[in-house]
Amino acid sequence: MPSTDEELVARSMGGDLDSFNQLVLRWERPIFALAYRVIGREEDARDVCQETFLRAFRALKGFKGQAKFSSWLYRIALNLCRDWIRRERRQPIAQAPEGVDLIELASESTPTESIEELVARRELGRAVARVMAELPDEQRTAIILKEYHGLTFQEIADLLDCPLSTVKTRLYQGLTVLRKQLAREGLPGAAPKPSTTDRTDYTDHVRVFRDVPGISRNIDDV
Amino acid sequence: MCDKERIVSYVYDELDRASRAEVDAHLKTCAECREEIAGLRRVRLDLGKWTPPQPEFGFHIVRDRQPTWRQWWTPAFGLAAAAVLVLALASAIANVDVSYENGVAHLRTGRGHVELADTTRKPEPPRPAVAPVEGVAKTKTDDAQLALASLDRRLRQLESASRTSGMQQAALSSAQQGDDEIMRRVRDLLAQSESKQQQELALRIAQVIRDVDAQRVSDLNRIQQGLVRLDAMTTQEAVAHRDLANYIVASARQK
Repeated sequence: MPSTDEELVARSMGGDLDSFNQLVLRWERPIFALAYRVIGREEDARDVCQETFLRAFRALKGFKGQAKFSSWLYRIALNLCRDWIRRERRQPIAQAPEGVDLIELASESTPTESIEELVARRELGRAVARVMAELPDEQRTAIILKEYHGLTFQEIADLLDCPLSTVKTRLYQGLTVLRKQLAREGLPGAAPKPSTTDRTDYTDHVRVFRDVPGISRNIDDV
Repeated sequence: MCDKERIVSYVYDELDRASRAEVDAHLKTCAECREEIAGLRRVRLDLGKWTPPQPEFGFHIVRDRQPTWRQWWTPAFGLAAAAVLVLALASAIANVDVSYENGVAHLRTGRGHVELADTTRKPEPPRPAVAPVEGVAKTKTDDAQLALASLDRRLRQLESASRTSGMQQAALSSAQQGDDEIMRRVRDLLAQSESKQQQELALRIAQVIRDVDAQRVSDLNRIQQGLVRLDAMTTQEAVAHRDLANYIVASARQK
């Protein structure tokens, strides 16, 4: 049976590096995802993620177990993100990937999902990233913690040191803005199916897919 | 109309049963709230489409036992002279023979044991200054002699210092205690020299790494320049070929 975070933390405090590295392995993806969605840049998010664990390791003695270990990590990561945003003195930029990683794409696709649907989902994901980046930091952070990390309102309030009602207000305002913006982008729900006359929007994807046997035919038929 | 906090709590299913029932009842009569909640739920569905990249991480915490640059970089310069001595001494350390006889410290290199604590043994016949068996030691004769002379000097200083303190303490300090003190200091000196040797080694390694890196960069530059030249030559050749082809076509037409 795998150890709990608390057990691993206790062992790490006793000087067991392996236990701490198990915690790293367990939490690196959530922390990276948090940083990526808050600051919007993959490389910087990686740095923030790494720095989060370094700081946690150095400050482990100061962790008294008053909060969950994950909440403690989230707090460190959010502080680092805030520092990053201040340092960069700009709104986070949702990074649009250069091309489409086909392997990643394929692994994401569910058996019932066609490539067009997958592409549409990707497009929608990028649109969400764009409009999220335009939200005020505190609204975006609240939505990220709620939506992607499943924290309760109370946990978010504790993490952000603000009243419960503030968390709900930020969520409501953020979601409302997103709703309007996404509607403006014409992207609530799935994107319309590409028609045969309208190929321009998909040229990039066609270029990527064309080299891949098996998929190229479907795409060229679009 | 419901208040916003309630709507958010309803959408995220964080209402107690009673409040939830109230909202449900309200929604039956209020189209505006129904629409609002449906809209927020659609946004939540859209948010689910935003997936972060999945990079390989592979980082983990390791314990670093090496001293950092900052820790010893500055004092290393201050102790430059000592470091030179230490490096030289280190090469000969395996064959150093220290003895203490009649209040005088003797130091030799050779194949014998280091017998720091033995103050009663008789003086041995003089040994070769350098161990003949050790090829490495042979190449470092000068360094070793320098080091030995210098260590000898320091030992004498120590010894005179201890003699002075011995006079101050008059009859209380026995000869044995003095000897122990000297031996302790010698051991301290050796320990010091070992740590300085490690520092020196780290410095050398860092220099080598820097040199290799510089060499690599310059090599890369040279390769880059070569490629640019090749590229230019290829282009010229292509132009020449095209001209030649044009000329042939033109002359063929004329015919």
